[in-house]
Amino acid sequence: MNARGLRRYVDDLLRGRRPRAFAPDDFEAAQIRTAIELRAARQGPDAGDEEFLTDLRRRLAAQADGTSPPVAKSGATRRNVIVGTSAAAAAAVTAVAVDRAVMGSPAEAPAVAGQLTPNDGRWQRVAASSDVPDGTMHPFDLGSVTGFVRRVDGKPRAISGVCTHQGCRLWFDAPDDTLRCPCHTTSFSPTGQVLTHQLPIAPKPLPTLMVREVNGVIEVFAPPV
Amino acid sequence: MGAQNEPVGPRPLRAVPDSGFSGYPDWEAVYRDNASWVYRTLFARVGNRADAEDLTAEVFLAALRPLRLTASVGEVRAYLRATARTVLAAHWREAMGREITSIDDIEQPPDSEEAISTAPQRVAKVLDSLPDRYRQILEMRFLQSNSIKESAAELGISVANAKVLQHRALRLAAQVNEGGQP
Repeated sequence: MNARGLRRYVDDLLRGRRPRAFAPDDFEAAQIRTAIELRAARQGPDAGDEEFLTDLRRRLAAQADGTSPPVAKSGATRRNVIVGTSAAAAAAVTAVAVDRAVMGSPAEAPAVAGQLTPNDGRWQRVAASSDVPDGTMHPFDLGSVTGFVRRVDGKPRAISGVCTHQGCRLWFDAPDDTLRCPCHTTSFSPTGQVLTHQLPIAPKPLPTLMVREVNGVIEVFAPPV
Repeated sequence: MGAQNEPVGPRPLRAVPDSGFSGYPDWEAVYRDNASWVYRTLFARVGNRADAEDLTAEVFLAALRPLRLTASVGEVRAYLRATARTVLAAHWREAMGREITSIDDIEQPPDSEEAISTAPQRVAKVLDSLPDRYRQILEMRFLQSNSIKESAAELGISVANAKVLQHRALRLAAQVNEGGQP
């Protein structure tokens, strides 16, 4: 409870001043929400102060000219660019990427992924059968090949765990059931299809690997290290 | 991982090729076309000009840099709304330690009145359900921006009583607004 904080906040709103922050409880938050809606419901919604809008345009022009050249001449890497952009923007990019996943039409998926079949390989153990119950994504690293194995209708399936863009190693985001690339925010479904990306050209789906289950062991056919 | 063949600079947002989109010629056009609804969307959720202006600036400063100009108008607007959502959420967390208002996912285009604000409709409904005196004080103070003195005079009560009335009216309005019964 912070009766004074609330009174002051509402007072500031009514006087058109920037309200001062405080830590409201649930009911105080509800009152602030209502006070904000009341203020926002006034007649003739202004479209933004002309002077403010002009000034912001100038600031944006300065940003466009100065800090964000269309072609970076310095050794700016993607990482620098991300650091240079605010966290808000980074988060927004994520939000949009998620939106796009919903919009993406399967018809536009690129060519079917190939299967990686090494000329020179052997069956190598990647997990005990009991390590891969239904619904889990089990990562493995054989040195020559890294990937994920999981079960589909009881049968083991394996896909490469390396991003088809530039070879970064993928990690499995279990809550989202998605393989994510740490380098360029590309994401793949557990079957290896591209879900989202921000690249000029869609990366290829993840190749599948030959996999079998023998005597309680799951094996992938891969080149020796 | 060689970084040398990696494109640098602002990365375009792209997932699905758009068919027949009409985009913006430059970022100034993006700004001209969208500044107003972004500002109004934020004003409807903070209720004051200073915060709305700061947050609007933050949205555009953050959004224009990574923006891909070949994106369609609809994509740019969806992206701006998503950025505004993030910026607003951060503002509330920082100022109040919790989210007071938010920008929701909706089906209407971000620049439509329904998307910008539903406050007028909601407020009308809430005010309708309040006792007369409560409704009057809120209308005078919040909608007409009358001073407490003017409002007290109009209602024929003391300033102290007008303050108490306003305080109680807002409490009741909040209860109604949050779905509770008065």
